[in-house]
Amino acid sequence: MTVLESGIATAAKPAADGLAERRVAGHRRDNRTAYLMIAPMVILLTIFVIWPLVYSVYLSTFKISFYEEPEFVGLQFYQYVLESPRFWSSIWVGLYYALLTVPTGIVIGLLLASFIKMLSKRAAAFMKTTIYLPAVVSTVVASVLFVFMYQDEGVINWLLSLLNYAPVNWLNDPSFALPAIAVPGIWLGFGITTLILLAGLLDIPEGYYESAQLDGAGFFQRLFHITIPLLRNVLLYLLVTGFTLAIQLFDLPLIMTGGGPVDATMTPNLFIFTSFRDLTPYATSFSLTASLMLFLVLGAISLVIFRLVNSDKAIDG
Amino acid sequence: MRRRGIVMLAIAAVTASVAMSGCSSGGGETPAGTTTVTFWQQKFEDYQQAWFKKYVDQFNASQSKVKVDYQVVPGDTWAQKLKAAQAAGKAPDIATTNYGNVSPGVAQGQFASLDELLPAEKFDDIKGNVKPFVTIGGKHYAYPMLVEPSTVLYYRTDLVTAAGLDPASPPKSWDELIVWATKLTQGAVKGMTIASAAPDLGWSSWGLQYNACGRLPVNDDWSKAAAMDPCYEKLLGLYKTLYANGLIPKQPKVGYADGAPYGQGEVAMMAGGSWVIGQLKNDFKAMIPKTAVAPFPSFDGSTGKTTATLGGWTLTVDAKSKAKQQAAEFIKYLLAGDPAIMADFFKTSGFSKYTVRSSVDLALASNPDASADPFMKIISEKVVPFGKAEPAYPWDISLAFGTAIESAMKGSADIPTSLKTADAAINDVIKKQSLAGTAPK
Repeated sequence: MTVLESGIATAAKPAADGLAERRVAGHRRDNRTAYLMIAPMVILLTIFVIWPLVYSVYLSTFKISFYEEPEFVGLQFYQYVLESPRFWSSIWVGLYYALLTVPTGIVIGLLLASFIKMLSKRAAAFMKTTIYLPAVVSTVVASVLFVFMYQDEGVINWLLSLLNYAPVNWLNDPSFALPAIAVPGIWLGFGITTLILLAGLLDIPEGYYESAQLDGAGFFQRLFHITIPLLRNVLLYLLVTGFTLAIQLFDLPLIMTGGGPVDATMTPNLFIFTSFRDLTPYATSFSLTASLMLFLVLGAISLVIFRLVNSDKAIDG
Repeated sequence: MRRRGIVMLAIAAVTASVAMSGCSSGGGETPAGTTTVTFWQQKFEDYQQAWFKKYVDQFNASQSKVKVDYQVVPGDTWAQKLKAAQAAGKAPDIATTNYGNVSPGVAQGQFASLDELLPAEKFDDIKGNVKPFVTIGGKHYAYPMLVEPSTVLYYRTDLVTAAGLDPASPPKSWDELIVWATKLTQGAVKGMTIASAAPDLGWSSWGLQYNACGRLPVNDDWSKAAAMDPCYEKLLGLYKTLYANGLIPKQPKVGYADGAPYGQGEVAMMAGGSWVIGQLKNDFKAMIPKTAVAPFPSFDGSTGKTTATLGGWTLTVDAKSKAKQQAAEFIKYLLAGDPAIMADFFKTSGFSKYTVRSSVDLALASNPDASADPFMKIISEKVVPFGKAEPAYPWDISLAFGTAIESAMKGSADIPTSLKTADAAINDVIKKQSLAGTAPK
């Protein structure tokens, strides 16, 4: 190293040190700003989610009474919930409902989104509004409407009577009741699914389709080799949110069937709610523990689906 | 700007605290020396709400020491609202409680004993067959208001005659009932209506469970289920036949307690509680001349056996109330006071409910409407004397048996399998809720 170089190096060292310090200071300021910005959410989450959750776990180790000293029972209620055939039956009902509604909603949404994509701007705007309309209808109103439609004298049985199939006991037959509830479930949800899928479709460059067409690819080839692979992220998002929401269904069976017939529409949340309504200390502790177990079940299902998301990185269009 | 924000925050905090203090429902003393007690009434028929309001207003106007804050709570939100209030220490001072919930409530320490709050002679007036419904361990924990049989047979005399049946000779056995229902099922009109969903079947079939087997599906000390007793197969068979043969509406629009399908002419017969008489008299007056009532048929056609439980309502005082004595004052005025008040209630109900006090019977004896009412005569002479008290065991047991009936009706499982499932479910309830040996004596 020459004297000149040495001089430059000596002069440059404090300058580099200063730069590093400034960088560290800047980094600290950035961190502080970031912590400040997430602090309200962390505080709110702690108050409204984490603390109630921890306290619920603590309470679930007691037989809760509002009039007498709660009795410590350890993990007894977890055992009771795990042994309850009605709890597991409700989980299966929730999964069955999710299987009925989520894939159907996605298929219908994909078909409608593809159709809307082909329309003119004005027609597409009209279709989007029309399709989104059920999403703003109250679930209660939709439930009551469908109860009327499913009656012996309702429009559905009237249509079936034209084919000599009526009346079908839609809401009071254990094998029909859940599919009958799934119909308004799909109807209420497919508007949002369609719009999300449409946004995904519009993101796919048109050139891919043109090239494929030039190569002689038909509709199904374009669908399976271009559309679905490029919509993978959107589809996985819809699957995750759709499944977790569907399993937590509550209001449709509450209004339309009350969980019957013979628990055929007793979804997990409705089961927990009906258990809670019993006025015994056992019922209070049981429903609390069942809620915590449902939290675990939902977490496990979400984990499985998230694993699927992570296992195959999306192809960026 | 900052100061303005602080002021707004302070206003919001004060408003919130005032609003939250307004949510309080416990008894409290106002500066003027008036104690406010809260009274939650489960919502019943409209005329009942009007009757309660009338006498709450009269009570509040008659004195200045106690003010009753009267609130009507719909039945479908009652349980969760009451539980939430109990959890927050804000349970109502006075609440309507059915007979079946008195014993479990006492076991949990939920109700105050009324013996220390009301004069002893007020309990002497309660009829002997009703007193056990509210007495646990020799103490009275509720004051009864009424009894009402859960199951009575209503039938349309005009349709019965048109079908070639004799309206003066209603069906006596379950086999005859099925014959009648079959003949009366014509076009859109079904032969009859009866409960078909587990939550309704759980309680409305208690009387028929007694009829089929002479007992409920659990042994006397609540230590073991008895649902697999073969005598219950006849009961499940009755429900199954009515449903599978299309003799009852397969998709009922309302629950068992609502007599609207009969009132609207959709069915020719109805299994319903005595309270439906009040509904018919108030909402379906045209149906009254065409209606007759009879005891619900028994499985073998014999008379004088239980076919109904005697349900009914009481008023209870919360064990944690800060104004127990004041709450009891209101109960003394409304249910245990001037017999004319309760006589007015039974008159308003169209004599569809039955008295629990001897003095009210006397007050009604002079009422020509009461003695001339054909429905009241049949029900009070042929149904009420054979009625049994509602069971005091947890609802889960009744629901398990109701689910067995529904399961057999709708073909989810055959009758023996349905009963076996119910038996296992009841034994599970007994074990997990530690019921063995806890039956009230």
